[in-house]
Amino acid sequence: MAPSRTYTASARKKEGLSALLFLSPTLVIFSTFVLFPVLFSFYLSFHQWNMFSAQQAFVGLANYTRMFRDPEFWSVLKNTLIYTVGTVPLNMALSLLVAYLLNQKLAGKKFLRTAFFAPVIISPVAAAVIWRWMYDPNFGLVNYFLTLVGIKGPNWLNEPHSAMFALILMAVWKTLGFNMVLFSAGLQGIPDTYYEAAEIDGAGAWTKFWRITIPLLSPTTFFIMVMSIIGSFQAFDVVYVLTSGGPMGATKVLVFYLYEQAFKFFEMGYASAVAYFLFLLLIVLTLLQIRLMKSKI
Amino acid sequence: MKKWSALAFVLGLALWCQCGKKEPAITAGKTTVTFWHSFVSSTVPALNELIAKFEQENPDIQIRAQYIPTGDALIQKLITSVQSKTAPDISWVHSDYLEDLVEAGAIYKMAEFIDGPDGLSPAEMAQIYPALIQYASWRGTLYSLPMEATNLALLYNKDLFRKAGLDPAQPPRDWDELVACAKKLTTDTDGDGKQEQVGFFLPIFPATGPLGGWMVWQWLPFLWQAGGEIINPEQTAVLYDGPAGVAALTLWQNIYQELKLSTYTTDYDVAFASQRLAMALDGPWNLPRYKTLLQNFDWGFAPLPQGPKQKATIIGGEYLTIFKQSKNPAAAWKFIKWIIQPQNQAYWAMKSSYLPINRKVLEVPEFQAYLAANPNFKVFVDELEYSMASRPIDYNGLQITRHVAEALERATVGKIDPATALRESSAKSNALLAARTQTGSARP
Repeated sequence: MAPSRTYTASARKKEGLSALLFLSPTLVIFSTFVLFPVLFSFYLSFHQWNMFSAQQAFVGLANYTRMFRDPEFWSVLKNTLIYTVGTVPLNMALSLLVAYLLNQKLAGKKFLRTAFFAPVIISPVAAAVIWRWMYDPNFGLVNYFLTLVGIKGPNWLNEPHSAMFALILMAVWKTLGFNMVLFSAGLQGIPDTYYEAAEIDGAGAWTKFWRITIPLLSPTTFFIMVMSIIGSFQAFDVVYVLTSGGPMGATKVLVFYLYEQAFKFFEMGYASAVAYFLFLLLIVLTLLQIRLMKSKI
Repeated sequence: MKKWSALAFVLGLALWCQCGKKEPAITAGKTTVTFWHSFVSSTVPALNELIAKFEQENPDIQIRAQYIPTGDALIQKLITSVQSKTAPDISWVHSDYLEDLVEAGAIYKMAEFIDGPDGLSPAEMAQIYPALIQYASWRGTLYSLPMEATNLALLYNKDLFRKAGLDPAQPPRDWDELVACAKKLTTDTDGDGKQEQVGFFLPIFPATGPLGGWMVWQWLPFLWQAGGEIINPEQTAVLYDGPAGVAALTLWQNIYQELKLSTYTTDYDVAFASQRLAMALDGPWNLPRYKTLLQNFDWGFAPLPQGPKQKATIIGGEYLTIFKQSKNPAAAWKFIKWIIQPQNQAYWAMKSSYLPINRKVLEVPEFQAYLAANPNFKVFVDELEYSMASRPIDYNGLQITRHVAEALERATVGKIDPATALRESSAKSNALLAARTQTGSARP
């Protein structure tokens, strides 16, 4: 429709202004609680500040160099990588398997779907408290079930290696349902006609899965992979409640380290530098993943 | 017009909801003093009685006590409240916090009140246990005053002693006896690798967790009993990795290995109450609970076993400080000054089972009668004579405490040689101290 002749520039301006007015509540909230902290944090990463004083001392790149020189930072980064490598593939494989199985004709599908999704909605703190008891070497359920099969379970949360494994298991349990739902949606988006055509050509279940399901799921898979990696690098709440970063710092991940620097030792500037490092790292990783998957999506 | 009236209505509703959130009305005519504390729920009735007594004697002042969980939560809440100009009048603080609070200019020097018109005489100040004055100060200046004192003693189950063939009237008096008793009291009668009874609760917690500092606090008496100290007086180097530290940490490692301890638990009181634990380090703050909790067996407190060099236990306590943002500093000071008077300290000690800060309290007749009737409480009071305060760490106290905690965890759970663990921690601590000396300036 051609604009009427009375649609003048001032009328356009008025329209723009009222649009801004309608957006303003969200803009105000966004600016205050998201934009400002992000920018202030960037500013802080070049300063030293203990949150109490009125001034912040400018230290240039000292926080960043300190970060790369701190051996604890590297061990924490290593822990985070181990955690990510442990959770993401396992999580994606299991959630795909569960979604695939629950996509078949099965009795009690609705109940099972709810059961798998329930851990996602439980508060991480409540879940960690429960799991801490389950991992108790003397009275916990995990070791009890292991003894039924004749295995003497380890002291899960008190040995450095088993603690990380215990944390990974719990983390996978916690987020599996969410990825399962996403995979389910992706699976249901694949038209049956493809499967029928494959069956006519004599394809077996495995071939169908490998040649049809997986390729056509790749947008979903890509999305889940990116989100899972970001999420696992940002893990904090379950670590805080389950192991407090122990034993002996074996499960101390990057965000836990950041939290300590900020709120235990009051080094806001240094913590901000760590936060920005994490931000840049995640950007690089995400861009890498986009580049790798570009051809395949 | 309709649009605007709708908008006005919504805004009015929002504002009205905000007003409704304010705290209950303050009684007109009275000065209100907000008091932040972390007293556990079993002590709160005693606190309320104390406040009622104060308000009775000072009808123009109303104390509003508010509970804040201790540890990280308390210091974080203090920081945010100072920044948002909503700081309380009085708050509990630990000596760890004084560095940051002072550098932010958030709290008063106590001298402003002590030397003022309604102040305290030097004689009155001298009555306070010096160790508490040390904790209440930062770099030699007094910034807070103690409200009560605590220390550490040995809690033990007399029935389990009898069962193991030990004399309950002879609790362990030194390190060797402690280890021997603990071993005897640890049983695994059915040989399934799980102990039904543990002889001694060694307070090992993850160094990175919230109880890391608490673990260090309970190790310090052992360091002192071996003749050691945490840092040198010039604040240039830490001393906890010396022979005394190694001896103290070796003791802990021995206990951990001999008793085959393995889990981080925090509920030693639950284990003790169900008679699965024979001995533990504990303070007077649990006495009110234990009177009701530990009903069906014979238990008691004994002084901490002494070490190779001396008897020692650690003194702690809670310190009250007045914030500069307070609108009623004079009223706040009145409350603090009232609390440290001997008769009120006696009242508070008898109600709460905390220890008095004031030597003169021992002369109050009701208090003496109370001691005679409560031998367990008397153990703590007697220990006050040799309770020591940790030498203050002026800067980076929290980080250095963390280094000690890491060494403690690594030597016990990590099975690393104590000397090595301590040396690796002291290297980190000394590096921090050296960096400060180089830059020559305090943290901004």
